[in-house]
Amino acid sequence: MLRYFFKRLMFLVPVLFGVSILIFSIVHLAPGDPAEVMLGPAATQEDIANLREQLGLTKPLYVQYGIFLGNALKGDLGRSIKSNAPVMEEIMERFPATLTLALLGMTFAIVVGLPLGILAALKQNTWVDALCSFLALVGFSIPNFWIALMLMLLLSIYIPILPSSGFDSWKNLIMPTIVLGIQTMAVIARMTRSSMLEVIRQDYVRTAKAKGISDRLVLTRHILSNVMIPVVTIAGLYFGHQLGGVVITETVFSIPGLGRLIVDAIRAQDYPVVQGGVLFFAFCVGIVNLLVDLLYAVLDPRIKAQYRAAK
Amino acid sequence: MKKFLLIALALLAAAAFALPASAAELRIAQVADISSLDPHKVSDVYSANVIRQIYSNIVQVDEHMEIIPDLAESWENPDDLTWIFHLRKGVTFHNGDPLTAAAVKFSLERIKDPATASPGATHLREVASVEAVDEHTLKLVTKRPFAPMLMSLTRYETAVVSERAVKEAGADYGSKAAVGTGPFKFASWSRGDKVTLEKFDAYFRGPAPIDTVVYRGIPEDATRLVELESGGVDLIPGNFPNQDFALIKESGKFLTYQTPAMSTLYMGLNTEIKPFDNRLVRQAMNYAVDKQAIVDAIYFGFGAPAKGPLSPVIWGFDPAREPAYPYNPAKAKELLKEAGFPDGFDMTIFSDNRTERRSAAELIQAYLSEVGIRAQVELMEWSALLSTSAKGIGGAFMLGWTGTGDADGGMTPIYHTANIGSSNRFRHSIPALDALLEKGAATLDQAERRKIYAEAQQLAVEECPLVFMISQELLGASSKKVQGFKLYPNMITPLYGVTVSE
Repeated sequence: MLRYFFKRLMFLVPVLFGVSILIFSIVHLAPGDPAEVMLGPAATQEDIANLREQLGLTKPLYVQYGIFLGNALKGDLGRSIKSNAPVMEEIMERFPATLTLALLGMTFAIVVGLPLGILAALKQNTWVDALCSFLALVGFSIPNFWIALMLMLLLSIYIPILPSSGFDSWKNLIMPTIVLGIQTMAVIARMTRSSMLEVIRQDYVRTAKAKGISDRLVLTRHILSNVMIPVVTIAGLYFGHQLGGVVITETVFSIPGLGRLIVDAIRAQDYPVVQGGVLFFAFCVGIVNLLVDLLYAVLDPRIKAQYRAAK
Repeated sequence: MKKFLLIALALLAAAAFALPASAAELRIAQVADISSLDPHKVSDVYSANVIRQIYSNIVQVDEHMEIIPDLAESWENPDDLTWIFHLRKGVTFHNGDPLTAAAVKFSLERIKDPATASPGATHLREVASVEAVDEHTLKLVTKRPFAPMLMSLTRYETAVVSERAVKEAGADYGSKAAVGTGPFKFASWSRGDKVTLEKFDAYFRGPAPIDTVVYRGIPEDATRLVELESGGVDLIPGNFPNQDFALIKESGKFLTYQTPAMSTLYMGLNTEIKPFDNRLVRQAMNYAVDKQAIVDAIYFGFGAPAKGPLSPVIWGFDPAREPAYPYNPAKAKELLKEAGFPDGFDMTIFSDNRTERRSAAELIQAYLSEVGIRAQVELMEWSALLSTSAKGIGGAFMLGWTGTGDADGGMTPIYHTANIGSSNRFRHSIPALDALLEKGAATLDQAERRKIYAEAQQLAVEECPLVFMISQELLGASSKKVQGFKLYPNMITPLYGVTVSE
């Protein structure tokens, strides 16, 4: 199992290498120039040339990439053009907010989505099912910035109990958590429902019931453990999706996270921050995918058996 | 379950009654967080606003953009090239170091040093030498007689930093340390979120009435508004969303602030390409566009048709000016006919993707089509628009100009022949205008200068290598607790003297 883990971890290296080339090319080949952005419309050609020289942008691209890669391998992602702060430091300052938000959003999605799906499946074709499906549909189709604004209006102005922006206390996290998690919640609810309906009709469930096992035990031991596999897959996929979607939530609620750092950096053509930030995101998504794969092994004895065989 | 609900309700109630921040704290919402507090390294207005509170300059501007003393109590010109500044005595930096002429010299030379790559270096390009005559006398010699010198020294980019702090912090200066002589000292910065300043008790004009200032970066218009309404912030200085301003003003629940901005929006024309080389065509285009309608449509009525190259709040603006080229499509058609384009022509308007500029370009497109000019709008990334237009763009381009607050900074960069290839994006040479601008910069007598620039403005309007568009307006709002705040036309407002009541 541990060996499998390290083997998979090694696979991340070529992926990150590829991402680094891709992001470096995109950033440098896209139109625009950080020196121009920084100096604005009043700049003279000499000013721009001087700043480009200082920023090391006059060297050939492959040399710049070599320097970037060499430093990145040592854990040094360079310094931000805009703030002159080390990129790694900026990322590490911003990452906790994003991670907290993503984890809370996922927790919300699972804690609400899973029971909603189970309930809908157990009460199939009743008004409960219709209500759950309606909630899931609404949660999936409403754009999350709109939900954010409506929540703010309700909970910051009409019933002023929550702050609308910032990152000072747990109160700041409630609305962003709902906004970030609601779409994943909807997907999980729908996935759980359909997966439940499939499993409920399986022979082994009928057998278990025929053996006289209590409904509760059938649900937890026989049904849910099988329902979990597709749900975990979806949750894993959506976790990466959420890391990306965090940009909107962070912007609307003004949370100092990684998503906003990268978006701001793109606007300012702050190459080192964009490169470092995207590379770091890629690393996170890779790790999450790996964890999801490992979780399968816990959930599905067949996969666990495969790992053993692979030894 | 009931118990849980009760606890949840109790928690929410507790949250609602949580004490508001202490009375002497002023919480300000800007559009973005700062990028750095090193005045010699930044070029964004959000950092500039915080820098303005931490640092002092040799001289400053008041809310009418007139020069007032700051670190220098007085100054004189023994000859046209020399500026002698007599610095205040007893001024100290936040780290306890005394302010001396040598400290000011260090700052100015740091800006000029190419290794600093300071975006503000351009403001000191005419400075030949800086000399500390004695402890409190600074001598500045310019390469040529240069009247706008004082305005350059009011810029946040030329603020005076502590030499010791810069050397101690090294590359971290501006993010972990920021030491000036201003009324507030740097306390902490939580990157991407907020920066906190504390009152500096030894400020040379006496301690400020507020203890703490918090600047927060809130990018969403709606969120900033909700924060103001819910009391999460006290002040939105400028960058107030135009569409919501009338509503906030009418509600009577807030104090509102309005001032003409230093910046103007225009549509530049690359006069090297046909038919923009023809002055009649350019004038026709100026008449063809209803600027007031565009102000109403995209700025919700806040702003005014431009009266020429300068905004009314720029020093040197000629108050006798009327809006340049009032809307007159019949005249536009006549001029086009006279120029030999009775059926109009095809052209492209380049813009970046900012909503306001894009919308303005689309409205211009519609107005031009009414006089037979077939324009198409093409979007470009911002820095690509800047560099392409500097080298000569294939049509017209939407751009704004802010300048320095002085007529020289408002006109010379974009009209003078010497700046073709960089900031003169019209690529248009008007020798008579060059002469006026040079004379204006070299004339130290302010009354005489005003006359020269009045003439220059008229000439620029007649030659019109651009379509004059809109003088923008700055909007701000605060809770009624905030007293004494004035919105400055350059959007950089000192907070010294502002009070926050219970």
